[in-house]
Amino acid sequence: MTDRRLRLALLGVTAAGVAVAGYLTWVHYAGVGLLCAGGGGGCGRVQGSSYATLAGVPVAVIGLGGYLAILCSLLLRGEPARLATAALALVGAAFSAYLTYLELFVIEAICQWCVASAILMVCAAALACWRVLIDPHEHGGFTGTGQDRLDARSSPQA
Amino acid sequence: MSSQQANEGQPGSDGEALGEQADRRQSRRGRLRNLGVAAAIAAVVVVVLVVVSQQGGEEPAQRSGGGGLVGVAETRTTFAGIPQDGTTLGDPEAPMVLTEFIDLQCFSCRQAAIQVLPGVIETYVRTGRLRLELRTLTFIGPDSVRAAKAAHAAATRDLMWNFTELWFLNQGEEGSGYATNPFIRAIAQGAGVNPQLVFDGIKSPALQVPLREAERQAQAARVQGTPTFLLGRRPGPASPS
Repeated sequence: MTDRRLRLALLGVTAAGVAVAGYLTWVHYAGVGLLCAGGGGGCGRVQGSSYATLAGVPVAVIGLGGYLAILCSLLLRGEPARLATAALALVGAAFSAYLTYLELFVIEAICQWCVASAILMVCAAALACWRVLIDPHEHGGFTGTGQDRLDARSSPQA
Repeated sequence: MSSQQANEGQPGSDGEALGEQADRRQSRRGRLRNLGVAAAIAAVVVVVLVVVSQQGGEEPAQRSGGGGLVGVAETRTTFAGIPQDGTTLGDPEAPMVLTEFIDLQCFSCRQAAIQVLPGVIETYVRTGRLRLELRTLTFIGPDSVRAAKAAHAAATRDLMWNFTELWFLNQGEEGSGYATNPFIRAIAQGAGVNPQLVFDGIKSPALQVPLREAERQAQAARVQGTPTFLLGRRPGPASPS
């Protein structure tokens, strides 16, 4: 698995996350009902709960900001950028886990959109951590110096 | 290059390979350490977010004990497991529809909500034989408009029935001005609705639309007062009863 492939996978996952969080944000401000399969009112119940905002800011907006921040970090090069992606994704995944706990044990309702976002964020965290751990010199990554590929391909002296 | 020369070069090549391995191990340890630091920073950020979230969120059941609000747990029980969709309560495929016209300031509506509806819900709605529709009228006063818009804000989260039931259980005297912001906030929280969403809804012109539609339907059905119940087969109401 190369750094480039991991980055592309991250871009895909993050774009999907932006779409989900963007939809939830729009629903919040437009005041329309959520499209929720299966009925039961779970989506509405979760989105309407007191836990749906953090210090007055809708959690959907925070999620959208998080996904956009990850997207921006993916456009940068180098080790610090990869670490930033991993840190952002880990924050997102851990907070998504907390929100899922609230759904299951406090609000006692499941929002399918929230579950989808949580799954996407966990995938993003896994991909981002993997990207940090692989050796960019061996796996075609860019560290920003420009010498990387030349160094990786240098052969031992005869 | 001869094989002899190649063999003579072996120890140097081995040394370089060992050096490269050591460099890679060190590099990997460095990356692991960096990832650990990133994870630690992420953990601190998440703890802060959780603390802020806990301060802002309130368990609806706790409000009934310390906040002076009655019927929070009872309301949750009444509607638990019954699908809600906007102003509708019950199975959308139910063969009969009962449309109720109310004003949230109306005392008789409160009586109906507390004494009549729970039995109807348990016997007919929960069994899928009946679907309920709520129409909010606002003829009693300005607070009726605030209350109705707040209820419709809750409807966007499929919690209108919880909201209105809790409102009725804690209803104040008609026209007394009891529908203050703290009151509405308490009702919203007790019903499990984000209070900010409700306050935004009260200010929103968009939520005048369901109020005007309810008024139009009331005029078409010659509704004279509240509560008024119209019973009919799917999709709409038949005649006043």
